[in-house]
Amino acid sequence: MSIYEPYRGIRRALFYAALVLAALWVLFPFFWAAENSLKTTAQTFTRGAFVPWLQYEPTLGPWRTVLSDPDSLNALVNSIVVSLATTGVVILLGTPAAYALARYDYRPLTSRDLAIWFLTQRALPPAVVLVPYFVLMVHLRLIDTRLGLILVYVAATLPFGVVIMRDVFRDIPLELEEAAFLDGANDLGVFTRINLPLAVNGLVATAIIVFAFNWNEAILASTLTSRVAQTLPFFILSSRSTRGVDFNTASVNTLIAILPPVLLSLVIQRFLARGLTFGAVKG
Amino acid sequence: MDDRVTRRELIKRAGAGAAALGAGGLLSALGKGEAAPKLLPGHPLAPYESPITPERVEFLKGKPYRGVTINVMVVKATVGDCVKYHAPHWEAETGGKVNIAEVPIETLHQQIFTDLTTGLGRYDAYQTGAWFYGDFFVPKEPYIVPLEDFLKDPRHPYWVPTDQIKSMRTLYTWEGRQYGALFDADCQILYYREDILTRPDYRKRFKAKYGYDLPVPPRTMDEMHDVADFFTGWDWNGDGQPDWGIALHAKVNEQGFFHFLTLAAPYVISPENRSFWFDPDTMEPYINSEGHVKALEDYAKFVKNGPRAMLQWTLGQGWNLFLAGHSVMEPTWGDLPTLAQDPKASKVKGKIGAAQIPGTKRAFNPKTGQWKSYTLNQVGNVNGGSWHLVLSRFSKNKEATYDFMAFMANKKNALFNAANGWTGVQPSMPYEFFPPYGTATVKDYEQYGWNAHDIKVYLDAYYKDLTNPLQETYLRIPGAAEYWHELDVNVSAVLAGQMKPKAALDDVARKWQKITERYGKDTQRALYRKSLGLE
Amino acid sequence: MRRSRVLQYVFLAPAVLWILLLSVFPLASTLYYSVVTYALGKGVTGFVGLGNYLDNFRSPTFWHSVWITLVYVAVAVSAEMVLGVALAWAVNKRIWGQQVFRVLFTAPLFTMGVALGYLGVTIFDADTGPVNYFLGFVGLHPPWITTAFWGLAAAVLLDVWRWTPFVFLVALAGLQGVPPEFYEAAALDTRGEWPVLRHIVLPVIQPVLTIAFLLRLMEAFKVFGLPFALTSGGPGTSTLVYSALVYLTTLQFFDFGHGSAMGVFFLVAVLVIVLRLFHVMRRQLE
Repeated sequence: MSIYEPYRGIRRALFYAALVLAALWVLFPFFWAAENSLKTTAQTFTRGAFVPWLQYEPTLGPWRTVLSDPDSLNALVNSIVVSLATTGVVILLGTPAAYALARYDYRPLTSRDLAIWFLTQRALPPAVVLVPYFVLMVHLRLIDTRLGLILVYVAATLPFGVVIMRDVFRDIPLELEEAAFLDGANDLGVFTRINLPLAVNGLVATAIIVFAFNWNEAILASTLTSRVAQTLPFFILSSRSTRGVDFNTASVNTLIAILPPVLLSLVIQRFLARGLTFGAVKG
Repeated sequence: MDDRVTRRELIKRAGAGAAALGAGGLLSALGKGEAAPKLLPGHPLAPYESPITPERVEFLKGKPYRGVTINVMVVKATVGDCVKYHAPHWEAETGGKVNIAEVPIETLHQQIFTDLTTGLGRYDAYQTGAWFYGDFFVPKEPYIVPLEDFLKDPRHPYWVPTDQIKSMRTLYTWEGRQYGALFDADCQILYYREDILTRPDYRKRFKAKYGYDLPVPPRTMDEMHDVADFFTGWDWNGDGQPDWGIALHAKVNEQGFFHFLTLAAPYVISPENRSFWFDPDTMEPYINSEGHVKALEDYAKFVKNGPRAMLQWTLGQGWNLFLAGHSVMEPTWGDLPTLAQDPKASKVKGKIGAAQIPGTKRAFNPKTGQWKSYTLNQVGNVNGGSWHLVLSRFSKNKEATYDFMAFMANKKNALFNAANGWTGVQPSMPYEFFPPYGTATVKDYEQYGWNAHDIKVYLDAYYKDLTNPLQETYLRIPGAAEYWHELDVNVSAVLAGQMKPKAALDDVARKWQKITERYGKDTQRALYRKSLGLE
Repeated sequence: MRRSRVLQYVFLAPAVLWILLLSVFPLASTLYYSVVTYALGKGVTGFVGLGNYLDNFRSPTFWHSVWITLVYVAVAVSAEMVLGVALAWAVNKRIWGQQVFRVLFTAPLFTMGVALGYLGVTIFDADTGPVNYFLGFVGLHPPWITTAFWGLAAAVLLDVWRWTPFVFLVALAGLQGVPPEFYEAAALDTRGEWPVLRHIVLPVIQPVLTIAFLLRLMEAFKVFGLPFALTSGGPGTSTLVYSALVYLTTLQFFDFGHGSAMGVFFLVAVLVIVLRLFHVMRRQLE
């Protein structure tokens, strides 16, 4: 945290007003989704239907439709399992890799070259890799399984883990490590006891980002799953039926889809608050 | 309601209808090579089938498919829900199990064909849209199998494919063989506000302005434009807001281009020319012919008859304008009158009129390059998805799968589907239409919430469209989706003023030639001719 | 300083192997398909060398798509960087409700692009949507998704809404690594917040911001669900972003030849852009 207090007097009021405005900007789409989720299809196309009861008659119909669909629960569970597992693996594999890239060189390549290689993994448009991935999963007999999805998702989001964490580790001053080495610590100890604790903020941010990416991934999921391992984004794609888009059920699905990650990030950010004290100690 | 038909016409039609039914029945009996099967009206062992053969009753006694599981892929939509509804009933009757995978419509084609082209074949049956057919028949051995052998077997649920109205049945067949089991039957017709068009004060004003009586319904494109123009821009429904002459759902990549296909048909299809898309001899595109260009110019004129936003409206948004009472006409699918029956969604229940899409007085023949005059050249269409199940060649349980398909095609279930709006299924069997065309009663529909007036006008116009001997040929060659897409985006660009009609269609023609080359001009031509019934 | 060679490779290997194993095949496959013609049901029908690439380059739709994607990315990512850093700086102060704001400003990251696009269809409807309702009070009535410009504008607005949290999160993590004493020391030399931010703090968190920028840039080039659900690429193909074009070509038409060529072109172009930028930004700091 910086030392800055948000101004005095009128500037303080303006500052908070600006923050509140930003908060309203962030909240508006969620609010609108909530509105849509309580409307009939006809009402979603009606002008000036903002205030429930006053300007339109709200209905729980869309919620009932979605929640009574057994597939939606299945999709929710699949999304949670796949995203959590993927994030876990990415952190597990990506963090050490990032540290290694931050501290070592791999002649004839530089660590920067390798970092760039990781970055380039995300440079292909998803559409071209869909069929190859499909064929690959067919051969591995992992079509429509959570495991298959996790395998591909880890490969797809590992670059985030590595590239972000690499810079986080590079920011940690070498002097701290050297001091630990002089004290007799080995590489592993230095990694776990010096670097990791100081990198917690970055780790948490990375975990949240990776989780968010996997949570919302729709295009690979729609190719590699069809029934058993269906995830929430796939569900949302289904809002578009032969009769066009059902905007009200789409809104319900949208709201349901953001709840778990928001809750998760709440929990994690609590943890992040505690991590702040680490930063202060570092001095 | 109806066009003012003369008694003579009515009798002629009744006779034709009866003859068709009789002939159809006779032909199907002949086609089976044996006498028509004995039929029972029903049996307690099969509460969901009627009529039913005694052989089937025997068959069901042994719970024939116990231990068999079939996998079916459906669209996650009304038509998919309908399949899900019937599955448990079939399971109870036969002891089999149905696993249903629901797939969003955007990925349906991709899912079906990645499954088939990789030989994975995880599904026994796919719910397909009629325009996918061409893609099934590209390989030497088609991806789907014909149903004739199963149809001969009286142990399966009873239904007669040849009873289906011919123009619709074509979409379920390929080269004369049956591949699909009866399900949905889409076509686009004109829906309008009968109550508004028949109001005496509005009729007086129309006559004063245009010099002829307001036609109910409009019979020609010119009349349709006049009616649309007349009702645009003032408040004719008394809600204080200016209203519109037409409603469209023209969003690109969202089935909006069907509007153009439907409305352009009478400019190009005529007794002299049955081909809308290509020259059947050379496979050169027809799409930029003078007739097509004129059709597009006229279609673009409708843009001013509705809110500008309708250029990017999805189906629901387009329908909503009509259902909320703000537009006087809409050319679209049977979903519109179906949704109109729900008082929560519609203000127009009981006020609907329906008619075939207006025709033209002049049609263009792309082959000869000539315009020809007609009293009235009206063309029917079967535009739309017409979703139904087809049987995969990789299925290891073909018989059981067919049994399920036929189960839903059996009269009792089919009539249920047609009469219940939530299924998304439209009628195409005689027993689903009212006399003199068929044997259904108004009560069959009223019991599910239909307004008597609406269902009568809707079925009447629907039937007339489907049985119009002049039909716009449906594109059923490989790559149909691609050809349509190029047309779709350019039509959308014309509507938005980004392109001019002639340039747009010339561009489409060029792109179509490229697509044809990629698939192989000769194979495309052969398949196109077959789809037209030319050899 | 002793460094274990074993650790060096053991730490890196799993990540590298995982990616190698799973991405070699798609990459090779894409390269292969880009030089052949393919049609559904027929499979590969011939080798055409650079033919697919040339077809793409001759297509106005292709270049239009490239152009609008570039514009989209430029506008959206710049806005996201600025807003994200500004929000992170604001939230990083000793303000009341810091935790609440932090969670709030992260939330949009969890929405799905397609879902947001559908939502946008109703929000930006020219006649019935809330945006035009309120804009109507000041006499404005943009046509939004019925035109190319306004359609892209709506998509960019939604994109900024959705992705600013990404920059915010990374920038905040970076700022939180800067201890309070740092500011105190800086305050001795410089007066005022803005110069401190600009000349002292930004350079310190610059590496992390660069990464955020490059990652965001890379993802932005691939944008698909959000604009496509909003406008379906229309009217016509005027808002068809690159990834949407590739999707239609590859998955709706099974035209793997041209689609893969588009993919390879994308890969090369994006890499060139990103690496160039990386280089330039590196140089600026030295």
